Amino acid sequence: MNKYWWKFLASGLLLYTVWFGFSGEVPRQPILNETIRNVYFHVPMWFGMMALMISSLVYSIKYLQKGKIEDDIYAVEFANVAIVFGLLGFLTGSLWGNFTWGSPLPKDPKIIAVEVGLLIYAAYFVLRGSFEDEQKKARLSAVYNIFAFASFMPLVWILPRLTDSLHPGNGGNPAFGKYDMDNSMRMVFYPAVMAWILIGVWISTLKIRIRLMRNKVNEV
Amino acid sequence: MFREIKNLIIKDLILEWRQKYAFNGMILYVVSTVFMAYMSFKLKTNSIEPITWNTLFWIILLFSAVNSITKSFIQEKAGRQLYYYQIARPSAIIMAKIAYNFILMAFLGVVGFIIYLAFMGNQVQDMPMYMLALALGALGFSSSLTLISGIASKTDNTAGLMAVLSFPIILPMLTMLIKLSKNAMDGLNAANSRDEIMVIAGIDLIVIALSYMLFPYLWKS
Amino acid sequence: MKIISILFFVLLQQVEMADSLRQNGKIYVVAGVFSIITLGILGYLFFLDRKIKKLEEEIKEK
Repeated sequence: MNKYWWKFLASGLLLYTVWFGFSGEVPRQPILNETIRNVYFHVPMWFGMMALMISSLVYSIKYLQKGKIEDDIYAVEFANVAIVFGLLGFLTGSLWGNFTWGSPLPKDPKIIAVEVGLLIYAAYFVLRGSFEDEQKKARLSAVYNIFAFASFMPLVWILPRLTDSLHPGNGGNPAFGKYDMDNSMRMVFYPAVMAWILIGVWISTLKIRIRLMRNKVNEV
Repeated sequence: MFREIKNLIIKDLILEWRQKYAFNGMILYVVSTVFMAYMSFKLKTNSIEPITWNTLFWIILLFSAVNSITKSFIQEKAGRQLYYYQIARPSAIIMAKIAYNFILMAFLGVVGFIIYLAFMGNQVQDMPMYMLALALGALGFSSSLTLISGIASKTDNTAGLMAVLSFPIILPMLTMLIKLSKNAMDGLNAANSRDEIMVIAGIDLIVIALSYMLFPYLWKS
Repeated sequence: MKIISILFFVLLQQVEMADSLRQNGKIYVVAGVFSIITLGILGYLFFLDRKIKKLEEEIKEK
């Protein structure tokens, strides 16, 4: 994780998405107008959050298997950055929604999902705050993390498909992949998702390294 | 394994029977919340919309569930827990607790529903379907809240954390339950509710499987 | 006649709304979204920076 090449890759991809995100050709659509470009900026936040949550989950499982405190630190910091990404997705979404759907917080299952996700991770940190003992804290919060993730998944993947949603790909709305997004948009969108996931991981590794260093300092 | 679970359930039932005040307290909790709803809706305006009628019932049920399941791990003293630890497997303990809480929740749900009907009037057209929703809800509440109460019981602030930890987790299930029971109220064809039933049953299964796998880690500490 | 002219006057006037963000095909909404993200990430970096600084001071003290 301390290697540099993927950080340069992330920076390159991000530059590419910013340049082509603002200047590339996009389909002309009523109401959406130019805001369709937000697909390159708002949607990757969501993907980044999911990727970080999954990483957090993986390290929680690892912790329960091996009991190494490092794995717990990984899980916490991934969750931390996931919250930041979730908040950014939430804020950008409400700005975008304000000018296209006419309301910053319309009734929509995806928005409810991200709100509940943020609540779950907030609860995770409250739970962590109520223990003194490191190992006990790590074990119980890992259990909660896995449990919460499992009940969060149906909210993200199943519920939006059963109810009407303003977001594409759910309810009666056709997916972006089918109609709205053409090939030239996909050429920007996938790199954007990659770039933001890598940046999320990068920030998390920075935080993890700080925590590991702090532990070492406290030991000495 | 099954004998172990059966014995543990019987033990819990006997314990509950011996300290009836806790159980009576739960019933009283449901009765007084229903009465409060009755005071503030039925007496004031004499009309209540079906959606409100339904949601109110589920919220009352959710709160009584959280309240009664919270104490599933703290009513027993640490010494006795150590004793169980030696004679029973943790996976058997969690399954027994979930089953016992399911019995409790089903009973509480039915009693609560009867009281609710008595006070707020009946608006349900498809009773069997509503009963199914009640059963699925009891299973869902008991399975997801039991593990959470196990986590919360390890902290100092059990009651407060219980609410914080459980509400976001129970929310997806609650929305599905409200939808399903609303379908039952409107007397919709059973085929319309198949999706909801499948999803709730699926969530229940996942949660029970996870509780089974994760509880041993909880029990250790 | 007077009423008609007043009506004309009203119709000719553009309705004044807060639509500065709606100009130019709403491109400023995209700019706003991008600024929120940049601000968020930058703010988070500053927060991280402060944490590292604290750690450095702790190491120095030892």
